[in-house]
Amino acid sequence: MALASPGRLHAAAVRAHRTEFVARTLLRAASAFVVFAIVALIVYLASEGTKLFTHDHVSPLLFLFSPTFNPDANAPGSLVFIVGSLAITLFAILVGGPFGIAVGVFLSELAPRGVVAAMKPAIEVLVGIPSVVYGWIGLTLLVPLIRTVTGSNGFGLLAAGVVLSVMILPTVITLSEDALRAVPGSLREGSLAMGATRWQTIWNVLLPAAGSGLTVALILGIARAIGETMAVQLVIGNAAVLPSGLLSPAAALPTEIVMDMSGAQQGSLLSHALFSMALLLLLIAMALILAVRFALRKRM
Amino acid sequence: MSEATLSLEAVRARSARGVRARRAADRLATGLLWTAAISVVLLLAFFVGYIFYLGVGAISWQFLTAPPSEVSAGGGIGPEIYNSFYILILTLIFTAPIAISAGIYLQEYAKPGAFRSLVQFSAESLATVPSIVMGLFGLLVFVYYFGWHFSALGGALTLTILNLPALMRVSQEALASVPSTLREASMALGATKWTTITRAVLPSAVGPLTTGIVLIAGRIFGETAALIYTAGVSVAAGKGAYDLSPFRPAETLAVHVWYTHAESVVPDVARIGNGSALVLLAMVLLFNVGARIVGRFLTIRFTGKA
Repeated sequence: MALASPGRLHAAAVRAHRTEFVARTLLRAASAFVVFAIVALIVYLASEGTKLFTHDHVSPLLFLFSPTFNPDANAPGSLVFIVGSLAITLFAILVGGPFGIAVGVFLSELAPRGVVAAMKPAIEVLVGIPSVVYGWIGLTLLVPLIRTVTGSNGFGLLAAGVVLSVMILPTVITLSEDALRAVPGSLREGSLAMGATRWQTIWNVLLPAAGSGLTVALILGIARAIGETMAVQLVIGNAAVLPSGLLSPAAALPTEIVMDMSGAQQGSLLSHALFSMALLLLLIAMALILAVRFALRKRM
Repeated sequence: MSEATLSLEAVRARSARGVRARRAADRLATGLLWTAAISVVLLLAFFVGYIFYLGVGAISWQFLTAPPSEVSAGGGIGPEIYNSFYILILTLIFTAPIAISAGIYLQEYAKPGAFRSLVQFSAESLATVPSIVMGLFGLLVFVYYFGWHFSALGGALTLTILNLPALMRVSQEALASVPSTLREASMALGATKWTTITRAVLPSAVGPLTTGIVLIAGRIFGETAALIYTAGVSVAAGKGAYDLSPFRPAETLAVHVWYTHAESVVPDVARIGNGSALVLLAMVLLFNVGARIVGRFLTIRFTGKA
C-alpha cells in the first residue's frame, strides 16, 4: 500500500462527512415519522369521528348523554358505553391500584436482590400474556365462579373489573417501583435515624415523596384499563343497558366498537357513531397523557 | 401539656408501648407487602398451570396444522399460526428500523430542544393509544383509503405504528446502558459520530436491544384488537391460506380465539379456544425465555462480558 496522499486523505474525510450527513438525516426522518404517525392518527380519527355531528347532524350532547343506542332509529346515544367503561376502569384502579403500589413498594424497599431478580421476569410475562388469554381465563373460570357464588349469570361489570385489575398490575407495579427508587436514599436514612420503623418511613416519608410518580403509575393504569378491548368483551356480557349494579351485564366503549364494526357499512350512522367512540377514547388517552405531564411538572 | 406533669416512669411506659405498637405495625405491614408480592407470582403460576390444564387435551399435530373449520367440529389452527408469524415478521421488518433509528437519534444526536421534546411527547401519546383505536385508524387508512381490503400488510402496518413507541424506548434504554467512555474513546481515535455508533456503541447495546425486541415480538404475536378490522377474521381455503402475498386476509391465532368464541358457529369452540390459548401462552413464555438467552449470548459475543 502506498502512503496516503493528502488528496486521498481529503477524499476519505469528505466521504466520512457525507456518510455522517446522510445517516443523521435518515435518523432524524425516522424520529419525525413518530410525530407524523400521531398527527395522522389524530387528524384521521378526528375527521371520521366528527362526521356523526357534521354529516348526520347528531348533537354531541345527545351522543354523550343519551342512554338510547339505536343507530337504526337515528339514536346513537353512547352513555351506556361511557358509564360501562368508567365503571370497570374505576373498579380496576381501586382494586388493582393499591395492590400494584404495594408490590411496587415491596420490590423497591423490602425485596432481597434475588427476589427482585425472580419477580422481574414474572411481571414481564404478565405483560406479555395476550389480552384474549386473560379474557379466556375470565370466561372459563371467573364467570362460572361469579355465577356459582352470586346466582347472577356471571357476565358483567364485576368480571370485567376483576380481569382489568389483574391486567393493569404490571403497569402499576413497574411504575410505582421506579417512582420509589427515584426517592433519594438520604430521605430513608434520615427517617430511620430519627427512630422511625421501616413501615413508618414508607408511609410517612417515601410514599409522599414519590407522590407524583405514583400518580403517574395510577394514571397510566387507567389508560391501560380504559382502552382494553378483548379481555373485557369476553366477560362483560355485552348488554347495551345502564348497569344497575356490579353484577349486571354491561358494555364498554371498546367492546361496543369491536362488536358492531363488522356490521357497520362505511359511511353509515352506525359506523360514524363507532368512530366517534374511538375518537372519544383517543381524547381520553390524550387527556391522561397531559395529566401525566402535569403530575411530573409539579415535581420539578 | 399533660406530658409535662407525667412522671418519668409513666413516660417510659408510654414510650415502650409506643415502640411495641410501632414494631407490631411494621411487622404487619411487612407481612402484607410480602403477601401481595407472593400472590402476584402465585397468580402467574396459576394462570400458566390453568391454561396448560385446559389446553393440553386439545393439542395434537392435526390441531396445530389443519385449517380452521367454518361450520363443523375438528377445525385446526395451522393457517392462524402461520399468519401470526407472518404478521409478526412483517411488523418487525417495518418497525425495527424506524424505531431503532429514532432511538439512536434521540439518544445519540438530538440535543434537548423543541424537536426532541416533540418526538418524545409524540411517542408517549402514541404509546397510550388503545389498540382498538389503532385498529380503526388502520381500517380508515389501509382498508378504506388505500383500498387493500383486509390484508396481512394492513395489519402489519397498523401494528408497526402501535409498537413503535415501545421499541423506540427499548432502543433508547439499550443505548443509554452503554458507558460514555466507549464513545469518548472512539471519538478520541478520530472516528466520526456515525462510525462511533455503528462500530462501538451498537455492538455493546446489541444484547439488551435484542432482548427488548424479542419481548415486544411476544406482545405483537398476541395482539388482537388492532388486527380484527385490518388483517381480518378469515383465511383463504386450501393452499391459499399459506400464500406469501401480503395482500390477503390473514386471521392470526389471537384473533381466532376471539372470533371463534364471538361469531363462529362451530360446536367445538371451547376446544379450539383452550388449545389456542395454550399455544399463545406457550409462545409468550418461549419469547420471554428466548429473549433473555439470545440477549445474554449476544452480549457475551459482542462485548466479551457476561
